[in-house]
Amino acid sequence: MVLVALLSNCSPKMSVLEENKQTIYESLKTHYSIIFFIHGDSDYSYYDTSGNEYDADEETVKNAKKVAEQNPNAEVFIFHQRPKKHFLLFFPQRDGEFYYYRNGQLIANELYWRDQEKSDFNLEVALYHQFHVVNQNKLITMFLYFGHEIPEVGGAGYDESYPDRTFTIDDLASGMKNFTSDSTIFDLTILSTCFGGTPYTIGKLMPFTQTIIASPENLYLSYFDLHSLERLDLNLQDGDVPAFAKRFARQSFDKLASSIETTVSVVVYDVKRVQNFVNSVQKDYNQTLNSLKGLTQADLAAIEHCDCADIPAYRISTINDGVDVLYQPARFGRSKNKQSHSGWECWKY
Amino acid sequence: MKAILTFASVLIMFVLVIPINAGGKGELQKHFSDVANKVKATENVVEKRAILENSFKVMSEALDKVQGSFLVSKEDQAGIDRLKSILKENQDELAGINGYERVPDSQLNNFSNYVVQNMAQADQTITISLIAALLIVIIIILVL
Repeated sequence: MVLVALLSNCSPKMSVLEENKQTIYESLKTHYSIIFFIHGDSDYSYYDTSGNEYDADEETVKNAKKVAEQNPNAEVFIFHQRPKKHFLLFFPQRDGEFYYYRNGQLIANELYWRDQEKSDFNLEVALYHQFHVVNQNKLITMFLYFGHEIPEVGGAGYDESYPDRTFTIDDLASGMKNFTSDSTIFDLTILSTCFGGTPYTIGKLMPFTQTIIASPENLYLSYFDLHSLERLDLNLQDGDVPAFAKRFARQSFDKLASSIETTVSVVVYDVKRVQNFVNSVQKDYNQTLNSLKGLTQADLAAIEHCDCADIPAYRISTINDGVDVLYQPARFGRSKNKQSHSGWECWKY
Repeated sequence: MKAILTFASVLIMFVLVIPINAGGKGELQKHFSDVANKVKATENVVEKRAILENSFKVMSEALDKVQGSFLVSKEDQAGIDRLKSILKENQDELAGINGYERVPDSQLNNFSNYVVQNMAQADQTITISLIAALLIVIIIILVL
């Protein structure tokens, strides 16, 4: 009996807001719809310069909740993908946690089972459609992903709990597709991972978004700063998303650059304007990816990335079109004298 | 005695730590963070340099020992090789050899932060098993 009670406590389904309050908050207009995907099923611990240890995913969930609470005109979905755990060693616990905020209030908080096989975000998409506000006016929509580098090939081992399951940028793109419709795509996508600014990754996300912010180089686990997303009613009052994206990138870059000694790169990609470059280099990039496909995980890990501009085939006239690059080289190491970056990262292979 | 201690520690860690999924790589990061804190805690630049040199030496020895162990897989060997090469670059830069300018005394605190951050980023792509990571940590603890 006690066990049953304990087990049921492990899987709460909570409707958080009292009904009368819910009515008040539902009467506020919703202008923004934000989806956070926060991957936590791996080693995400990092240290700041004072020696304090943090879990990147837990910190991001905390900051995402703050964004949700500080936005009186937004709906915010937070999907936290957590490691698999067992209660009393034998009873598996749900490994996903979902939060839904509307107009600054927590409406729902549920634990759910993540996909056990292929990651197609079906469960998250179902939750999204269950809660998503149906609005007469067009919402400004944003999609944010936080996690380690999303593999372009292979993808096994991305989830520590499911080492055989694969997750690649193609899977993320398919997942994003399910959140959009034929007529609406995301206004802004923020990819807070290492090596997100490659022609392949940007090319895969392009059909589902108008603007992308990503880091072509390594990104320290303190990730992009989310403060600009708080109070969108003030920070995005004019509805100019590309201009907002540049402000978001600048704030994130300044914050990272003030405490990080390794490379800092934050790039805004204007999807329409980068299309020519992506299409032009697609063949070369795909050839490289095909040759990487036969390699083992360990071999893949040993292959370095480099600025695409360092490879002659990519040094074409359109390389600078549509990219707004903020770059600070590492203060030490072999690349400390590299003073600029094209905004595009390639494989050194 | 050290061998018995190491074996016993591995056994205890294996039984206790693996189900908790604590992640041995985190312990490696903690080691570098602790070193950086020690570097920043002293004003004496000779001491700062010595702390960094010693930490690289200890880590390097630990990696060599673990690489020679029968407990580590072929994949671990490759991961350890990558860790060793990153460590070697850091050692060279600190000393100002192999094409590097010597890290100026005034930048040793920043360099210690760089080592922590660089290792943490390498950690994300390097594949080493929990066993290998724990072995490295245990050896470091025994040597220090």
